[in-house]
Amino acid sequence: MKITEQMTIGEKLRILTDAAKYDVACTSSGNKRSGDGSGMGNCVESGICHSFAADGRCISLLKILFTNECVFDCHYCINRCSNDVPRAAFTPDEVCRLTMEFYRRNYIEGLFLSSGVFKSPAFTMELLYQTLYRLRTVYHFQGYIHVKAIPGAPEELIEKTGFLADRMSINLELPTADALRRLAPHKSRRTILTPMRQIQTRRNHNQEELALYKSAPQFVPAGQSTQMIIGASGESDYEIVSVAESLYRRFELKRVFYSAFVRVNEDSLLPALPGGPPLLREHRLYQADWLLRYYGFEAKELLSEKHPNFNVFLDPKCDWALSHMENFPVEINQAPYETLLRVPGIGVKSAQRIVKARRFSSLGFEDLKKIGVVLKRAVYFITCRGKTQYPLKMDEDFILRNLLHQQDQGLAQVGTYRQLSLFDDSSFSDSREVIAMLRS
Amino acid sequence: MNQVIFQCEDSTEGIFTGVYDAWASRLGHGNVKLEAGTGHEMELFSEYRSVETDREKAEKVAGTVRKSMGSGCWESIYQATLAEGEEKAEAVYRSIVLGISMARRKNGSVHRLMENIQEPCIFQIMTLSRAVAREAHRYLGFIRFQEMKGKLLYSEIAPSGQILPLIGDHFTNRYPGERFLIYDIRHKMSLLHQPGEPWYLFTGEEPNTAVLEKSENEKDCEKLWKNFVETIAIPERTNPDLQKQLLPLKFRKYMTEWS
Repeated sequence: MKITEQMTIGEKLRILTDAAKYDVACTSSGNKRSGDGSGMGNCVESGICHSFAADGRCISLLKILFTNECVFDCHYCINRCSNDVPRAAFTPDEVCRLTMEFYRRNYIEGLFLSSGVFKSPAFTMELLYQTLYRLRTVYHFQGYIHVKAIPGAPEELIEKTGFLADRMSINLELPTADALRRLAPHKSRRTILTPMRQIQTRRNHNQEELALYKSAPQFVPAGQSTQMIIGASGESDYEIVSVAESLYRRFELKRVFYSAFVRVNEDSLLPALPGGPPLLREHRLYQADWLLRYYGFEAKELLSEKHPNFNVFLDPKCDWALSHMENFPVEINQAPYETLLRVPGIGVKSAQRIVKARRFSSLGFEDLKKIGVVLKRAVYFITCRGKTQYPLKMDEDFILRNLLHQQDQGLAQVGTYRQLSLFDDSSFSDSREVIAMLRS
Repeated sequence: MNQVIFQCEDSTEGIFTGVYDAWASRLGHGNVKLEAGTGHEMELFSEYRSVETDREKAEKVAGTVRKSMGSGCWESIYQATLAEGEEKAEAVYRSIVLGISMARRKNGSVHRLMENIQEPCIFQIMTLSRAVAREAHRYLGFIRFQEMKGKLLYSEIAPSGQILPLIGDHFTNRYPGERFLIYDIRHKMSLLHQPGEPWYLFTGEEPNTAVLEKSENEKDCEKLWKNFVETIAIPERTNPDLQKQLLPLKFRKYMTEWS
């Protein structure tokens, strides 16, 4: 293992981007800061996507590792010390120059800086701090910075770095402490949760400072996030969602990211994934994550010990609605906002628009379409002026069959009866099988 | 009586002048119609009047909208005038008529005008303004500057709405010390910013691109960026459909990493 001294910046960028690509978070949201007229840069509350990579993920930040040199030996990681991969390291100045040149041309919204553990956590954190300090004070960069806190780094360093960054994150890596012990022997729950708690406490303290002095320096103004790998160790969706929920509640995280496990190392402790990374599972977890954060759901409503995994065929909200038919149908012109939010096909925006628009006159199904409600899902759960759009049977099987039918046909199947056919109707038998599968 | 159609220029000022003239004609709101720009099908039994764009008239209309309907409504109506859409001038006229009649009523809640999407014209305004705002937001990310000799940052775009006035503040705030020029090919509009000055908008002039030459640094930087975009994707997750959905091909023509 050797770091070549004469590597060009292009070669370094390739190696250290390649090593950073498995990190999920590339958001630039959560902080609004207008430029002060000197230097360069500002932050937009909603964040801005600047491009999209071939895997469909947003490119918002220059996502790189400072170095992929690492003393840890985590089984799932491409940069583990026992892997024979080309290693490289930037200098703080190189990172700053790259960031500034890219930012000037509007390629990026800011910098996402992570790193392998070079020599020791403290030494690495110091390098990250030096880089950020240079970028903020020498280059006068006022754009977005997301930096990783290295587990095991000293408190003072994390605090100093936090005053330069917009967002900080510490990766939870794996949902359970047991899996962490097995797959990441150099990390422990304690070294991960301690800095997480530290950032939370310091941030809350900072809020008070800011209330007193408006111009007090801001500590991690866009909040902290974390990520965990899905499908590398055998947890159920219920465990994962519960962990995420407690992170939101007890650590006040802004986001929890889920990353479908990609098998990059040959290792007997890792599962073989013949079907590729578990992308559908990751998708369902993100859907549930939104339900937790914006729709007032709780983890135990969506899943339970008995029913620990998400439905493959239905999104978590539809799934919840189908098993709680006693709450439906909902009258659009009267139901409170919170109830509207729980209807499949109605999102935060459309629920807000409904509440506002119904002050002027009562709403019909045509109006709902204009508002942006997804009627092909919502139609089974709502009434307008006391009537459903079609004569419907309020029956779980019937609705499930129709919801699934739409996915391959895209047309509402309204009739309750079916013509018997000599030849087996394929979609009918399919949905029957699905129902049987779900029941078992 | 025949319907009278007011033909106005396809710009914010043109449309507002049209609103002024149509109102001042005293023909009755039911008998007039507004059309912005060319390309409309001629109607046989209508009378046509062309509207001379007049800054003063336009500002009177804009002032009235802002004062009587509030800044929220003003923003939506203003954005709608920038949108691409044949019916926009008519929708702007109808919603101003509706807004003013609501403002005249004592208990009218005119600041909530834009929430009343059961009205067809309001629905149209909302759809148009949302489309423009969304496009403008996308361009905040998708604009690419090239560094030309003489430290000028130059960018070309071809948006469907006239989004330049909506993004000027953002880029001026972001690059206070830079000289940059964004040229909108479709509407022949350009946005120019000089260090320490506010931004300016020019219409109808094409920048002389022949004199522009890429700076020496530019090529290396473009290569580094392409290199980054290629490497950051995870091969196991390749999903071109999703990529196309989020970054449609029409944008890519003007973006460094795809050229």
